Amino acid sequence: MIQHIKVHEVLQQSVAGFYADLVTRPTGRAVRESIERALPAGTIAVMDFTGVGCLDYSCADEIVAKLVREKVRVLLLRCTSDAHRDAIEPVLLGHGLAAVCERPDGTLHVIGAREPAAALLDELVAQHVAARTPGGAIALTAA
Amino acid sequence: MTRLVEVPSQFDDRSFDQFAAGYAQAASGGERLLFDAHAAEWASPYGLVGLLAAGEAAGRRAAGGERPLLTVPSSAEVVSYWARAGFFREAADLFEIHGKVPKTKPATESEVLLPVTPVRAAEDVHAVVSTIQQRASAILAKELGLDPKATMGFAMALSEACQNIVEHAGAGGWVAVQSYNWRRKLARRVVVIAVADAGVGFRHSLEPSQAKRFGDRWGDAAALEAALIQGTSRFRDPGRGQGLAGIRRYLARWEGKVAIRSGTARIAIVPKWDDDVPLRDGLPAFPGSQVLLIIPEQGSPQA
Repeated sequence: MIQHIKVHEVLQQSVAGFYADLVTRPTGRAVRESIERALPAGTIAVMDFTGVGCLDYSCADEIVAKLVREKVRVLLLRCTSDAHRDAIEPVLLGHGLAAVCERPDGTLHVIGAREPAAALLDELVAQHVAARTPGGAIALTAA
Repeated sequence: MTRLVEVPSQFDDRSFDQFAAGYAQAASGGERLLFDAHAAEWASPYGLVGLLAAGEAAGRRAAGGERPLLTVPSSAEVVSYWARAGFFREAADLFEIHGKVPKTKPATESEVLLPVTPVRAAEDVHAVVSTIQQRASAILAKELGLDPKATMGFAMALSEACQNIVEHAGAGGWVAVQSYNWRRKLARRVVVIAVADAGVGFRHSLEPSQAKRFGDRWGDAAALEAALIQGTSRFRDPGRGQGLAGIRRYLARWEGKVAIRSGTARIAIVPKWDDDVPLRDGLPAFPGSQVLLIIPEQGSPQA
C-alpha cells in the first residue's frame, strides 16, 4: 500500500505559526518526526509538495534524505518545483541516495545518486505501483 | 576613560578591516567604547550589521554591561538612510546613541529589500524568508534580470546564511538585504545580503571536530576553508554542511560572490568581475562571523 504525505499539511500541524516555507533544521526535524509517526517502516510513500514555498537544504536533508535513508523503501516526490528539486538533489547525492520524481505528465524519473536510481523504478514496476507507458516511460498505475 | 572606534566614511566590506583594527585596539583595554560614525557618508548592509555586532560584543565585555556609545552620522541624509535601513531600531538596544535620530519606520522602498533584522531563532529565519519572497521577486527579475525561478534559490541562500547564526554562533545576529547600483565596481545593479553576529566564530564552532585534522595549520583561516570549501560541519551527521555548499552553487549560477570573515581571517569565492583575494589571514581580530553575498545584474557590460 502506498502512503500519502501532504507536506504542507504536516508543516501546518507540526510547527506553531502559519508557514508555507520548509526552512531551518528544527522545522525539518518537526515535520519529519510527524511523518515518521504515521508512516510504517519500509513502505512506498508519495510526498506531495503542493503549497510548499521555499525548501532549503537543511529541510531537504532533515525530511527527504533522512526518510529515504531510514524509513521508506521508495520515496516518490510529487508536485515539486525546479527550486525544490535544486535543494533535494544535491542532498540526496551527498548521501548516495535517490528518490523518484513525478513529472506533471505523470511519468517518473529518478533524482539523486545514480547507483540506487535504476533499482527504484524497477521496484515500483515489480510492486505493480508503476508500469511502462507505450512511449517507454514509466508512470504510476494508481495513486 | 572612553576609547574611540572610528566608523569609516565609506563603510563596507572593503573598509571593514580598518574598522576591525580600530575595534581590536580599543577593545584590548577594559574601557567603555565610543563608536564614532559622525563622518560616515555611506554604509553598506555589511557595514551596518557589522557595526551592530561590534556594539553587542563591546556591551558584553564592558564591566557591568555598560552599553558602548555611538555618535550618529552628522549628515541628516545619511542618518535618514540608516534609519530607513532599520539600523537604529536595532542599535537602540545596544548603544547609548548620541545625535538626532529620525523616527522613521524601516523602509519598504525598492532598495531596502530587507531592513536590518535580528536573527536569534528558527522563527526569525522563517520570517526573513517569507518577507524576502514577497519583496524580492519583482526586483530580482526586473532589476537584476534573474530568472523569476531564481527567487526561490535566493530565499534558500538567505535562509542558509541566517541559519549559520542560529546553529553555530551561540549568540544572535542580524541580516540585511539591499539592492543598489554598484557604480564603483561593476557599473551595474547588485543585490547584497549581509549577515553578521558577534558569536563564537567558525574556528571555535569547528574546533572539536576539525582541529586535529588540520594540526598546526588550525586557525581561523583553516576553519573557514573547512566550512566553505570542504563543507564540513561541527555535527557528525553526514547531511550537515550542505548550507554553505548550496549558497556556493546558487552564487556560481548567477556569477555571484560569497565572502566570510571570522576572527582573523576572511575567505571569498571570487567571481570573474571581482579582484578580491580568496583567503586572507592575520587580519585584525573581530568577534563572530560576517557573511557577504553579492548577486550582480545579469547580462550587462562590466566596468
